[in-house]
Amino acid sequence: MCVCLSVSKITQKASVLNLSPVVPGPSGLTPSTESTVYDLVVFGGKAVRLVRLHVDQQHLEARGPLVELQDWALDVRWLSGDGPPLLCVALAHNRALLLDANTRTPLFQRSCVEGCLLYSTLLLVHQSWADTVLVGGTVFNQLVLWKPGEEGGGSEHKAPVQRRLLGHSGVIFSVSYLQDEGCLASASDDRSVRVWGVGALGGPGGSCGDPDPVCLRVLYGHQARVFSVRLAPGQVFSAGEDGACLVWDGGRVIRTLKGHRAGGVRALAVRVRVWRVEANDDRMGKVEETAEKLTDLKFSGDGVPKVVCPADEDDSDWSQSGFVVCTDLGSVYRYRNGLWGLVWRGPSDFQSYCVMETVSVRVKSSWVQICAVGNLSGSVFVFPVSHPQSGILLNAGSGKIHSIIWQKDEGGGFLLASGAEGRVHRWCVQVTSGESCHLVLSALPLPGFLLPLCVKRWLTGAVRVRSGPQGALWVCGDRRGSLLLFQEKDESNTDDEEKERMEVTKGGLTLEPTSVLFGVHGKQGVTAVTACAGLFYSTGRDGCVRVFRVRQTKPDHRENKNSILEPETTEEEEEEEEEEGMMDNLDEGTFKQERLLAVPCGGGHRSWTLWPSLKGVWPGYGALVFIKQGALMASQPPGPTRTGTTGWTLRDGVHGRGVGCVRRLGRVGPPEGLWEVAVTGGEDTSVAVLAVRPDSGAVRVLAVLTDHISSVRTLMAVTRPGGGADGDGTPSLSAVLVSAGGRAQMQCYRLLIGWDRQRAAPSCQVIQVARHRLDEQWERKRDRHKMVKMDPETRQVQGLSNRNSSGWTRRPVCRCFSVSFFSCCRLFSICETKHRIDLLWESFHHQRCVLSVATSERPRRLCVSSRVLLLFSASTDGQVSVWDLPPPSSSQTPPLPCLSFPAHQSGVNALAVWTEEDEGGCLVTVASGGDDGQLTVSVMRVQFPHEASRGTSSTSEPLNRIQVRLRSQARVPLAHAAPLTALQTVRPGLLVSTSSDQRVCLWRVGGTGVVHRGACTGVKHTVCGPEPDHLRVWFWSVGGICEAQKLH
Amino acid sequence: MGRSSKDKRDIYYRLAKEEGWRARSAFKLLQLDHEFNLFTGVNRAVDLCAAPGSWSQVLSREEKVEKGEGGEEVKIVAVDLQAMAPLPGVTQIQGDITKVSTAQEIIRHFEGQPADLVVCDGAPDVTGLHDVDEYIQAQLLLAALNITTHVLKPGGTFVAKIFRGKDVTLLYSQLKIFFSGVTCAKPRSSRNSSIEAFVVCQNYQPPEGYVPNMSNPLLDHSYDVDFNQLEGPNRVIVPFLACGDLSAFDSDRTYPLQLDAGKQYQYTPPTQPPIHPPYQQACHLRKNNLLSREDAPTDCPNQSRDQDPSADNICLNDSHCLRS
Ligand SMILES: C[S@@+](CC[C@H](N)C(=O)[O-])C[C@H]1O[C@@H](n2cnc3c(N)ncnc32)[C@H](O)[C@@H]1O
Repeated sequence: MCVCLSVSKITQKASVLNLSPVVPGPSGLTPSTESTVYDLVVFGGKAVRLVRLHVDQQHLEARGPLVELQDWALDVRWLSGDGPPLLCVALAHNRALLLDANTRTPLFQRSCVEGCLLYSTLLLVHQSWADTVLVGGTVFNQLVLWKPGEEGGGSEHKAPVQRRLLGHSGVIFSVSYLQDEGCLASASDDRSVRVWGVGALGGPGGSCGDPDPVCLRVLYGHQARVFSVRLAPGQVFSAGEDGACLVWDGGRVIRTLKGHRAGGVRALAVRVRVWRVEANDDRMGKVEETAEKLTDLKFSGDGVPKVVCPADEDDSDWSQSGFVVCTDLGSVYRYRNGLWGLVWRGPSDFQSYCVMETVSVRVKSSWVQICAVGNLSGSVFVFPVSHPQSGILLNAGSGKIHSIIWQKDEGGGFLLASGAEGRVHRWCVQVTSGESCHLVLSALPLPGFLLPLCVKRWLTGAVRVRSGPQGALWVCGDRRGSLLLFQEKDESNTDDEEKERMEVTKGGLTLEPTSVLFGVHGKQGVTAVTACAGLFYSTGRDGCVRVFRVRQTKPDHRENKNSILEPETTEEEEEEEEEEGMMDNLDEGTFKQERLLAVPCGGGHRSWTLWPSLKGVWPGYGALVFIKQGALMASQPPGPTRTGTTGWTLRDGVHGRGVGCVRRLGRVGPPEGLWEVAVTGGEDTSVAVLAVRPDSGAVRVLAVLTDHISSVRTLMAVTRPGGGADGDGTPSLSAVLVSAGGRAQMQCYRLLIGWDRQRAAPSCQVIQVARHRLDEQWERKRDRHKMVKMDPETRQVQGLSNRNSSGWTRRPVCRCFSVSFFSCCRLFSICETKHRIDLLWESFHHQRCVLSVATSERPRRLCVSSRVLLLFSASTDGQVSVWDLPPPSSSQTPPLPCLSFPAHQSGVNALAVWTEEDEGGCLVTVASGGDDGQLTVSVMRVQFPHEASRGTSSTSEPLNRIQVRLRSQARVPLAHAAPLTALQTVRPGLLVSTSSDQRVCLWRVGGTGVVHRGACTGVKHTVCGPEPDHLRVWFWSVGGICEAQKLH
Repeated sequence: MGRSSKDKRDIYYRLAKEEGWRARSAFKLLQLDHEFNLFTGVNRAVDLCAAPGSWSQVLSREEKVEKGEGGEEVKIVAVDLQAMAPLPGVTQIQGDITKVSTAQEIIRHFEGQPADLVVCDGAPDVTGLHDVDEYIQAQLLLAALNITTHVLKPGGTFVAKIFRGKDVTLLYSQLKIFFSGVTCAKPRSSRNSSIEAFVVCQNYQPPEGYVPNMSNPLLDHSYDVDFNQLEGPNRVIVPFLACGDLSAFDSDRTYPLQLDAGKQYQYTPPTQPPIHPPYQQACHLRKNNLLSREDAPTDCPNQSRDQDPSADNICLNDSHCLRS
């Protein structure tokens, strides 16, 4: 267990892997060309470990135990000489160590006269210890060069400094050396990279290079600290806290590469001229190829290009195939074979404004491009690009055409023109070839659509699906961000009726949406809607892709990536059956989120068109043509002669930055292969639903929710008691999840986690229930910069589910209690059916930052009144307050706590509560963990109103008030050496505590006080979820990766 | 973000400026003193890792008061890697406290007349990698203890910042070798959310026959691997004490600019900006648009969203240490 932790620590810090040429193992294994074996040394913190890589089997094998060192290892290298494999280790106190890799024992140790702390080290090794040269970046901003294996003197003798490089004004984080050019590069806290001419370092005899090294270049280009530098022939690569990787050539930045989601870039590896692999704070690796260039296509027509649309007639690359451009003078030009040609010059009413869209239509055996241009006064001109003279003019009302959308169909297409007052005019356009190769267009008007009332009332995306006997369905997106469903009657089989309908259409018949998902993509609007394999995908300017499907006649929103809308409630069985089938498609559609193309467009473009890689323009690559500041630009594909920019992520981190909170939901899967399901929230503002196989440690991301605008601080989940089960008994889970965090935002979801038998993997459906932001009103206020922003952050949320006499209700009204940095406790109610989160009351009683909350349930037998629970809150001054929960209907005045008592000297970080029945009331035990490292267990007696009135009626307290009295308090002052971070009850009387001292302790609480029952170490800042049946607790480590551990 | 936004977010930052302290850390030392009476009878003190100098300010102010009674000569030596604006009555040494030569220079100042108090507020310039920060902080504490064994009089006091992380018990155990009273104290001006605390080590009593040795310190950074695995009573944990008035401001909270109705808020500039911070040149270049840039902008613009828009503010008007 310990070993495993250390390894994960090593990977977390992205320590450098020192890849050595093959070193024969002790078994006498010699490498042959058939089976390549590498011995790697992995290091991090105060430990080094040997790992053997079997290249052919793609297998890593740990060799021997972890080698613990006395000091931090900053660099480790293999010596290349004959004899036993030797490792040279550089330590943080400017010391070097020679280690026998087989016996793992140190052979030599040598310190430098300059005995100081190093922030970075580079070892230049050759065959022997005597040849080794160490370059150290010191805490006082210098680089020092010295030889640990220098002749004379044992390990007592301190080696002198051979060279000093002065110039940096901050500590040095990284050093790189390039033998061919005799250059050394250093990256510093002072935000600069320095390149030094040092001559030949290391090698046979261990040269220390030029006696007078010089600083060749000072490179300033990063916006923050530079963490890593690598040299390549003629180029310098640097990466830093600003998340950028800069490529330098001769003192100039030639490329800026930005691909990491969040945080700085920590490490960099360069394979000369081909690859660059980075690993960084967001815990992913990326490979980037050097850059793609843009070409200006030099538009030569009159006016300024405004819209660009594809018009490729064959499958050649874009320079041969074409695209069309519409200018501000209402003319359409075509770009083909590198030349511009005028296609159509619009009449005067097309000159000030126009919109354009194209579609390719197959006529006989060739493709024809049809172009539609709309203007300010409701006219749409539709024409084949090759034969503009065959065009037809259509009328779409009298106002501005906001948008034009084509939907391909057999022999033509559907044309949608979104005009004034939310009216969408529709035609079925057919193209036929007449005599002498002429093309003939015909447009059959169809009933229009009427969009819901809103300010920006026009269509931005539409897709048509044929479906069953009811006729075709249209799923549309509008500028308001809503998704709309229109249903048209399929009457193509009855010509008479169709004609009849045409008559009606002329009279202005329009279809209204049969279902609306209002504002799903926010005020910025929908950008596109597509259909694939029975599912619909919409994209919006909110940066989200939403997945949904249409069931019966209502769009039913289901989602796997970003956010969701509530599915209409129908019979349950039916719903679940459909889900089974849907999961597969979703997986293929959305799970593989790859970046296909990135173009250095620089932003600010108005119109663009894209050939996706599927179209075969450039094998494997897409091409983008866009208009920017009146010029037409095209991206070039990467190729052997040109350089291209494509980056791809080797492995995404679960969260871009640190994980802030974890909640375990339960488990799913067959008994022989159960998966633990947990939710994590991170500083990267996302919430992830994860499944972990406890035995193998395999992790699967089931869903990522990105609705938060600031970091996610806390999670609360109410799972359906007993859990659901699929037909065959495989457990499934249903949970209400509340996430809360920065900007006082709360999100509520319902998670349905099941078992996909086909894929033998867990599946997850996310339904968005409601959202709430306290500062939403605040943001609308004027002069807000003059005021203090209230409530910057929600710290913790606890759920109080309402159970009524019939047990668990499927859609419960769930209440939750939250606390925040702005010294406030709040009680909310969440209504799943109404999609609302309402604030019931708030109290500023604590006056200080409130750090934790807990709730207690009264024993079932005593559930006599509507008041079910007690609430507990605790703050930075060590006070714990007990609240009696008023019925939701009670007055708006915030209640006072029924009891407040000191529990700790300083902040209370964690609370755990359980209740036991007691004669005439109950005993509530509150365990609290503090910043002071103390564990406090307070026991209080609770008497209920009716009992109080029956008993001592002399009390002056109002009769309807609950009575809470502190009965005893037990303290374990030094429970931990550092602040307690979390507490969990395994079962009443058994507690688990975690701390930043990286220990987990088990405590028994009983009549004799609090007894320490056991501990385990090395768990970094954990939050735990108890598993009550066996004495087993899973720990979810807060460090990007989750790990599960067994305590007993 | 306006310049007053930090005043809202950090009440002690604001109070420090208003009361003329060079850093908010001044309140930490004041609150520690409030609990432990650190300055009584102190005439000679060492301030390790002193820049920008608020602890030195506190020390020189407190010792002047004491001098009136004792009449002894006052001596304060302040050491830091960074340059520090001069303070009357404070001798400054610019150097690395983990370096033998710096230690020797400090020791020279106290030869013959040992110090009554050694304080160390040393912290690495946070790299963002928690383990590295914790490790370097521990090294600074041990370096400070090493210097202390050379300059502190028997019975004297040593106060140092400590990060309460994985290795904290090791540090406690080493401190307990030299002091009969070791307490872990958390001033209320230090945020609950930070792992920072202070060890107050009272009554310096080196082990019998201990000879301070700078070149081969007893306080080796090595330790028994199993040390941290020990359970229960075998572990060295020192008592904890929260310092400062309970009515003091809560450092985790935001406060309105208008603290009391009577007094109008006014922005106060920082007392003493750091001199020559590492990022000075880079900020200067950036301000004048002289940072090297690729001619053509790259990649999607929305990816820069994560960059801190306030980075510019941090540059020169806020002190380095005020950030912590
Ligand atoms: C939190 S600040 C001290 C603030 C100071 N006590 C005050 O009140 O103004 C930490 C200081 O430690 C210094 N420091 C870090 N490493 C050091 C080292 N190795 N030697 C000397 N000073 C160091 C930094 O330069 C920084 O100024």
